[in-house]
Amino acid sequence: MSFSSLDFYLATVVVIFGVDVLSAWGLNLQYGYAGIPNFSFIVFQAAGAYTAAILTLGPMTATSGQTYVAGTHVPFPVALLAAMAAGAALSAVIGVFAMKRMRADYQAAILLILALILNQFIVTDTSLFNGTSGLANVSRPLGSLVNPSTTGWQWAYAALVWAICAVVLFAVQRLSRSSWGRALRAQRDHDAAAAALGCNVVALKMQVFVIGGAIAGLSGGLLVFYLQAFNTASWGYEETLAIFVSILIGGVANNWGVILGTFLVQIVFVEVPNLLPQFGYIGLVDALEWVVIGLLWMAAIALRPQGVIPERRVRAERFGLPALRRAPPVAAAAAAPGQQGAHEERLGAAGGASRR
Amino acid sequence: MLAPGDLRPLVEVEDLVVSYGAVRAVDGVTISVAPGEVLGIVGPNGAGKSSLLAAVGGQLRPTSGRIRLDGVDVTKLSPHRRARRGVVRTFQDTSEFGRLTVFENLLVAGLGMHGASLYAATVGARAQARRTATAAARAAELLARFELEPMRDTYAMELSGGQRRLVEVMRGLMREPKLMLLDEPTVGVAPHLSEQLRREYRRIAASGVAVLMIEHVLEVVEEVSDRVVVMDNGSVIAEGTYDEVMQSQAVREAYLG
Ligand SMILES: Nc1ncnc2c1ncn2[C@@H]1O[C@H](COP(=O)(O)OP(=O)(O)OP(=O)(O)O)[C@@H](O)[C@H]1O
Ligand SMILES: [Mg+2]
Repeated sequence: MSFSSLDFYLATVVVIFGVDVLSAWGLNLQYGYAGIPNFSFIVFQAAGAYTAAILTLGPMTATSGQTYVAGTHVPFPVALLAAMAAGAALSAVIGVFAMKRMRADYQAAILLILALILNQFIVTDTSLFNGTSGLANVSRPLGSLVNPSTTGWQWAYAALVWAICAVVLFAVQRLSRSSWGRALRAQRDHDAAAAALGCNVVALKMQVFVIGGAIAGLSGGLLVFYLQAFNTASWGYEETLAIFVSILIGGVANNWGVILGTFLVQIVFVEVPNLLPQFGYIGLVDALEWVVIGLLWMAAIALRPQGVIPERRVRAERFGLPALRRAPPVAAAAAAPGQQGAHEERLGAAGGASRR
Repeated sequence: MLAPGDLRPLVEVEDLVVSYGAVRAVDGVTISVAPGEVLGIVGPNGAGKSSLLAAVGGQLRPTSGRIRLDGVDVTKLSPHRRARRGVVRTFQDTSEFGRLTVFENLLVAGLGMHGASLYAATVGARAQARRTATAAARAAELLARFELEPMRDTYAMELSGGQRRLVEVMRGLMREPKLMLLDEPTVGVAPHLSEQLRREYRRIAASGVAVLMIEHVLEVVEEVSDRVVVMDNGSVIAEGTYDEVMQSQAVREAYLG
């Protein structure tokens, strides 16, 4: 591999990584914090991608070579905002029936089936987004600042994606640590009890479903402007599974851990194999990727259903309570200082239990 | 001082029917509880006690009948709206938020902490911070009162059955309740905790809260209740003081088969 193609590849990986991290935060809000098994998450990314594409492709002409609806030209930032809005709006519509009180396994099934139906629908009705072939020739934005056909542009775009990631991280952290986020986690753990304490569970779920959908739409918009093309194969239901596995590995309700999980799953297991020499029949490596992801999921569920990296414990000290006096560490004398804290903590909890 | 019975009832349940399909779990029950009063509900398994409680709490929509809270008809009100009017409850199977710490379990129950307003929780952060500080102070008081301070940062799923009960009751107390619904609140609780809980139920009632308590353990019913209602097959078969209902022929038949 030559230097320039490696550079090209690296920039691409950095962009995709950012897009996948955004998706994982969106789904983590819905699933990790709120317990909504949104198996149609990728649909909302697609909504954003298609929206951003048709809003910048311009009106369809005889020479477009592709069919789509509502083609127009809007500036790049407007298209991104519209992509967010599309993800949010579609979530609001679907949420009306999918966020009703129901068993989580039914909800998961409904959302998964929805993803399959919608994909098939776009495949079949080619007048909307050009069916299986999908939309192509989306122009790269910000061409007046950096030449879009250079790796310089790619790196600039990667920087933009990660700048947006930083903003979204700030937002999701703020949301998840607020009393709203706590109420979300409460209803996730016991919805009837949360309702009995004044939480409007349906409204909370609807809100987080729409916010997650907006983040999904944004990620789709960012993706399509990089790839310049988008088709029905880009949003198969299995893409959602990869995001789920990233969350399970990185940490349910842990937005930092999710970055690590996304790196492991989406980069190490999905992207890197594309670099490896192919072997066996065509498509074998691709298929093996999904076998590995499936195994990772099963392992994560079996070993640590709450995620490999645990949810961060919110201590009462954060709310101005005096520090707990802990039982003196008995066996900690020999432990290294780094381990001592953890040791005391466990002792503290156990000591509390035995005193009762 | 007024005796509990002298006050206007806080909650009035009138001719209530709750059905699951063809099964009438509650079949025309009329009861009321006054502020400061503990009404005990006893009855054999499947008598419809939990269904009655769920209808009062809003978890189940009754087929017919009426529920009034403070004179206001709340029959069709959703559970979170009833909660905001001062109804709190515990569940037959404990209902802790397992992956929240004990402290967070309390915090989320605080007044105005239900997260309904995204705006308040995020943009209007100052008012919410004041509510959070109030709730945190109240949580600290309750942790001291229930001697659970050492467990405050423990995940609720790591607690013993009895401690989970305590957390449920404390969560209710975070809300300055008017009506507390308790479904078998001493089941699975170690003896010394049970004693503590029973004292607390009396104390809660003494502070003016109306308490509706389902309980199987007759000593607990005798000790805690002001009045007792006996249910069988969805209906009230006896009502009165503990001693009165225990004398009743209908009750003996229901219990002895
Ligand atoms: N979800 C449900 N679906 C169908 N039937 C139900 C349901 N819940 C309860 N029942 C039935 O309704 C009747 C009353 O049940 P309920 O739980 O109210 O009784 P209970 O007095 O609380 O009993 P226990 O002492 O065992 O808790 C029972 O016959 C029960 O089988
Ligand atoms: Mg019951």
